[in-house]
Amino acid sequence: MSLINMLSAWQWLVLAAIPAVIVLLYFLKLKRLPLEVPSTYLWHKSIEDLHVNSIWQRLRKSILLLLQLLFVAMLALALLRPGWRGTQLTGNRFIFLVDNSASMSATDVEPTRLAEAKRRVADLIEQMASGDVAMIVSFSDSARNEVEFTDSRRQLLRGLEGIKPTNRRTSLGEALRLASGLANPGRAAFEFSDTQVAEPQPATVYIFSDGKFPSVEGFSLGNLEPKFVPIGSKDAPNVGITAFSTRRRDDRPEQLQAFARLENVGTQSVKAQVELYRDGTLADADEIVLEAGKSGGVVFELGDLHEGVLQLQTSSGGALPVDDRAWAVIDPPARAKMLLVTPGNDALELAFSTESAAELAEVDIVGPEFLDTPEYKARASDAYYALVVYDQCQPPELPQADTLFVGKLPPGDAWRWGDIVEAPQIIDVDTAHPLMQLIDLGDVKFAEGRVLTAPQGGTVLVDSHAGPLFAIAPRGAFEDAVLAADIIGSDEQGQRFANTDWPLRLSFPVFVMNALRYFGGASAAGAAANVQPGQSVTLRSATSSPTLEVRSPDGRRTSLSRETSDAFSFSGTDELGVYEIAEPNQPIRRFAVNLFDSGESDIASRDEVQIGYVEVEGEATWEGARRELWKALLLVALGVLCLEWYIYNRRVYL
Amino acid sequence: MSNATDTDVLLSPEFLAQLERLELVTRKIFRGRMKGERRSPRKGQSVEFADFRNYVPGDDLRFIDWNTYARLDRLFLKIFFEEEDLHFYALIDASPSMSFGSPSKLRYAQQLAAALGFVGLIRGDRVRVETLGQGHVRGTAFRGRNSIWRMQQELLTIEPNQASSLAQGVKNFCIRNPGKGIVVLISDLMDKEGYESALKYLLSRDMDIYVIQVLSAEELEPDVKGDLRLVDCEDADVAEITASGPLLKRYQKTLAAFVEGAREFCSRRGMNYLLAKNQVPVDQLITGYLRRRGLVR
Repeated sequence: MSLINMLSAWQWLVLAAIPAVIVLLYFLKLKRLPLEVPSTYLWHKSIEDLHVNSIWQRLRKSILLLLQLLFVAMLALALLRPGWRGTQLTGNRFIFLVDNSASMSATDVEPTRLAEAKRRVADLIEQMASGDVAMIVSFSDSARNEVEFTDSRRQLLRGLEGIKPTNRRTSLGEALRLASGLANPGRAAFEFSDTQVAEPQPATVYIFSDGKFPSVEGFSLGNLEPKFVPIGSKDAPNVGITAFSTRRRDDRPEQLQAFARLENVGTQSVKAQVELYRDGTLADADEIVLEAGKSGGVVFELGDLHEGVLQLQTSSGGALPVDDRAWAVIDPPARAKMLLVTPGNDALELAFSTESAAELAEVDIVGPEFLDTPEYKARASDAYYALVVYDQCQPPELPQADTLFVGKLPPGDAWRWGDIVEAPQIIDVDTAHPLMQLIDLGDVKFAEGRVLTAPQGGTVLVDSHAGPLFAIAPRGAFEDAVLAADIIGSDEQGQRFANTDWPLRLSFPVFVMNALRYFGGASAAGAAANVQPGQSVTLRSATSSPTLEVRSPDGRRTSLSRETSDAFSFSGTDELGVYEIAEPNQPIRRFAVNLFDSGESDIASRDEVQIGYVEVEGEATWEGARRELWKALLLVALGVLCLEWYIYNRRVYL
Repeated sequence: MSNATDTDVLLSPEFLAQLERLELVTRKIFRGRMKGERRSPRKGQSVEFADFRNYVPGDDLRFIDWNTYARLDRLFLKIFFEEEDLHFYALIDASPSMSFGSPSKLRYAQQLAAALGFVGLIRGDRVRVETLGQGHVRGTAFRGRNSIWRMQQELLTIEPNQASSLAQGVKNFCIRNPGKGIVVLISDLMDKEGYESALKYLLSRDMDIYVIQVLSAEELEPDVKGDLRLVDCEDADVAEITASGPLLKRYQKTLAAFVEGAREFCSRRGMNYLLAKNQVPVDQLITGYLRRRGLVR
């Protein structure tokens, strides 16, 4: 319960005078209307009778006075604008962060959580005093500044109206940084500089979210005062599909299986019906009992299936509808073409011809003499290959393809290396690079190697004690990776020897698979892989067409133009479903965008959020708008007035 | 009709025609002053034979039935019914309080008196209209059908300004009129000193007493609102009231007690009491209530 004073001191004084005047008037001799009657005889008798119980009588007499005083008191109280539960806006700068991630589409709050959040923000905007400024930021996995700081409620409300639900994940960090940029300017600038760029602007940050985002690490709020407003209930039932993929059976590769994983985040066990549609027709259905908080898997045998779109649907999906459907695309195998040029390297040849490698790419293994054939030249200039591996050999010029050089430098003088270093000790591996993911070279020894100098823009992938040993650098639309050490070396006499024990280690085939995926996998595996909503997709084209058309599930067509590389970048993946990639003279390819995020599917709202080292308690009973009492008070006052009039006129006593 | 506002005509011709069939009734034995149309309970001289009785010396020889004497050789005296007149007094309270109401209580009283007086005049009774405030001067007595007009005129001259207490007025009346007969007191009985002593004065005379209490609608159902200073029109006494439901209820109770008290006081002492509301037309009152009460027949 809180009050908002609407009057200034002297106005209050005037108001306080009113009851005093009423009481004064009451004590004044009542001006009675004279009325001549035949006889006061009976009246006197009646009054005497009534005077007997005089305390009651006095009370009854003053009931009009009491009612009048009550009326004034009601007015005064109404002018104080009493209300409750309304969090008062503190400060005069507000930043409203509105979560519009997938989980905010949950319907446990009518109509949706996002609509509820918007309603509350609108209530707060209505409550802003004049001179207050506010901005609105919507955030999912990225933040979007909907309205800049303004004191125009109309603009704010219009911006608020424009916030649409997305199917993305949640991350508060970016939104906070956006807010912080305005509240804490020049934080990274000079501490003691006396030329301050802008005054720091303390602001109150209202976070309207269900709290389903990871804690924001390493963020200092500074001048921001956070207020977290949890939206949604803590025990909203929901069953979400958190994974859906297809795989060929290990024992019978022509047989396709679909795997789905469902998670029940509610507090009660659910018997979930799962339906599988193939190209729009029901293909299979299953039922799975999910304990509360547990997940379970469903397997569908699809048989011999090479192409199509699978859609999985659960009818008992709970409060969040967006995770009740999932799609998977079965594309005809479209493997990348690769070329391994080697005078003979059992390790590499073996690693490139495994079954897994064959799934990813079609690898041709040729000798160095193939480099002189016109067939090679034609293919090299036509971007036929996705990757060419040159082992112990060097082409006359670099092909229109990604390359991996082993023990040789690419032609040209962009790459340079120093003298031979004996037994270079590997001290660092850049495992963050996709090429070196999951690779531990701690147990790998090289007999000799060279110190590599990569051209500008290059990244060192493996560092030895002497210097870089393995690096990658972009070349136009392609990339060249150079390993400055042989796997199979040869001395002056042409005697071949093993330069390293890497092929004996587990990391070697992993590296080869990484290379296949990284250089060649984008078109083949990448399209079939799942894409998170909002994620940008790199689409590779097998042709030299300058444009590519992507059809969204809602039928929207986006024409992409070729960027500097051979890749097209598509970022309009906000909608869930199957996207089609259309290229002239090419079969249509597809990729699916699915939520697949147990974090978003777990829609139970949280009570608090962690921002940096600050734990922000949610104000659960928080209501944006004050529950104002003044209207009710005025109504009561009106009622009191009517009652007073009625009593006066109708001579009614209580 | 009867409550017509025309001040010159107290009673309508139709009502008069109705009244002609009535006559005043008394339950008591009165001696009339003159021969009237009323058969007296006493035997006297008239043309109507009543009975025989034995002659006793000293009887008027004129009344001896000689035919019977011739036949039976005994002296019998013929007795005839006596016919005499009745004294009817209409005693009207003309205090200022009687001027209230619509029609005013006074006019109502005048109409009532006129109607009863008319009945009396028609039957040859002696009718006297008096007011409480007229002191020791006797009012004119009317007799005979011819006097109807004069009686009306007399009634119409009564003005509601004779402030005198009820008791004093009745006392004066009793002193003025020692005779017997029917007295109809028409008053609102609203006297701060009480009506009891006044009625007792009346009782002291052996008269057939009718008390007609006339109350106006304003007194029966007062329509008052707000804070009022009620001024008594007679003694300018002031009562400050705040009109309210309970007060009105209390007033009604007081009024009912007052009326009931008067009724009981009268009936215990052999007086006839009647409450007349000025909204009830006079003809209804006379032909209805008073007829049932036995004042007229």
